[in-house]
Amino acid sequence: MKRKLFWLSAVLLSVGLGVNSGQASDLEDMFKDVLKKKLAPPAQPTAPQQPVPPAQPVAPTPPVAVTQKPAEKPADQLLKALMGGKTSLEEETRIGQQIAGNLLGAAPLVRDDSLQRYVNRVGRWVALQTERPDLAWHFGVIESDDLNAFAAPGGYIFLTKGLYRKLKNEAELAGVLGHEIGHVIRKHHLKLLQKSQGIAALGGLLGGKLKNENEVVQNIIGNGAEVVARGLDKDAEYEADRIGVVLSARAGYDAYGLPAVLAEIGHVAKTDKSVSLLFKTHPLPEDRLGHLSDAVGDKLDALAEGQSGVGRFYRLR
Amino acid sequence: MTRGRFCLIARWLGLAGLVVSGSLLAMGTPPQKPARSVSEAGANAVMLKADELRAAPDAGANVLARVEKGARVRLLASQGGWRQISILGKTGWVRVLSLSADAQSSGAWSDLEALGKTPQGKVVAVAGARGLDEETLKTAVYSESELQFLHTFAMSRGEAEQFAQAAGLQARTLSYLDAPKQSEEPGAVNATSLLKGN
Repeated sequence: MKRKLFWLSAVLLSVGLGVNSGQASDLEDMFKDVLKKKLAPPAQPTAPQQPVPPAQPVAPTPPVAVTQKPAEKPADQLLKALMGGKTSLEEETRIGQQIAGNLLGAAPLVRDDSLQRYVNRVGRWVALQTERPDLAWHFGVIESDDLNAFAAPGGYIFLTKGLYRKLKNEAELAGVLGHEIGHVIRKHHLKLLQKSQGIAALGGLLGGKLKNENEVVQNIIGNGAEVVARGLDKDAEYEADRIGVVLSARAGYDAYGLPAVLAEIGHVAKTDKSVSLLFKTHPLPEDRLGHLSDAVGDKLDALAEGQSGVGRFYRLR
Repeated sequence: MTRGRFCLIARWLGLAGLVVSGSLLAMGTPPQKPARSVSEAGANAVMLKADELRAAPDAGANVLARVEKGARVRLLASQGGWRQISILGKTGWVRVLSLSADAQSSGAWSDLEALGKTPQGKVVAVAGARGLDEETLKTAVYSESELQFLHTFAMSRGEAEQFAQAAGLQARTLSYLDAPKQSEEPGAVNATSLLKGN
């Protein structure tokens, strides 16, 4: 009952918060939807697909919240945009920066400027082969012996030093970066956040707990850089693999760099600590190779052999 | 495919690889003949899926035989998307994506032994080793200075193009790949037909 009251008040509040732009219309629709479900005759006793209420009990205190009407505009807009699935480029970048900054807080950049510049050159060239060539792409190798790579919205891409060490040539690097670029251009993480965190974040905002945009963004992405440890669904990973192969090929590389890396990772014992997070958040390499194999079929037959870039490949000291 | 299934096949291959390998290469002869021959000497790869063994690294080349999924083969050479392999006296080319590399060593197929045990000869904790587990990520604290440092390495579009030109990397046109049809689920394969050979 308390829960119902909360939702009802949340709905009323949001309507009361005022609609200042077209951006809010999606939010409104969503609330109308919620309202409809809440007010509809109880066809089914419980509505299991209702959004989960915020983890921490946020006491809805309507009078206080109403006085928040002129609350931080960018923060409000960010939330509304995210929830309406219409995040602007700035908003996407803002979220990505927060995630990237958090991740770098846990694992700083490898102190090797030549390496970082090299990875940015290759990465940017691969990213230029996408439909988002002018995103502010940033690539970094981070201090970790794990084998993993991460993407955050807005064009932030990281791979661990452990994974970099496994690479044998530039085409493999391009393949790994291409996979992560795939997550960015298809907005996989943004969609994940929309699904899972938006409601909780909104609850927090209405509770008047969040003071500024930074807090709102952090609230959206959860704890620290945990969002990168949250697995995307399998299909998103398979899609990113397919994109990684295509982008490397488009960039003039051997298209089979990514599969080679997957095979290499497949050699690491499944129980090895260095792959525990990777295997928790991704399908196993064998499955990924199988899917790639089925997706590629004969579609690359006409493609001239690309470069491996082995001579240019920057080796770690 | 489920991991369990994969393991089942892997286990089965491990235990009965000797028996089965003969049935893995069908050369116009009736398949499923119980075989007595051993797996390819020096085998260092396993067929991830069935494929045609061709005379040359070209989809138009003559088909010499059909190599079944699970067959252990020896890698000889590499050319583009093709790998030259030998199996049971036949040498030819298959698509690289039909192969899973090195199945013998501490690899893709070794999770059976690894389960519940520390992998042999693996030192898990190395001094100074940094993991990135969930807990570390959850408690990560935003670093503005590190983010700014990252931004200093950004390459402009022009710089990237210059790099590519100097490297002789030429942009090519290629469509994105569609998701494969569900039926091609890897691993859901002929566990039964493999077992028949027994």
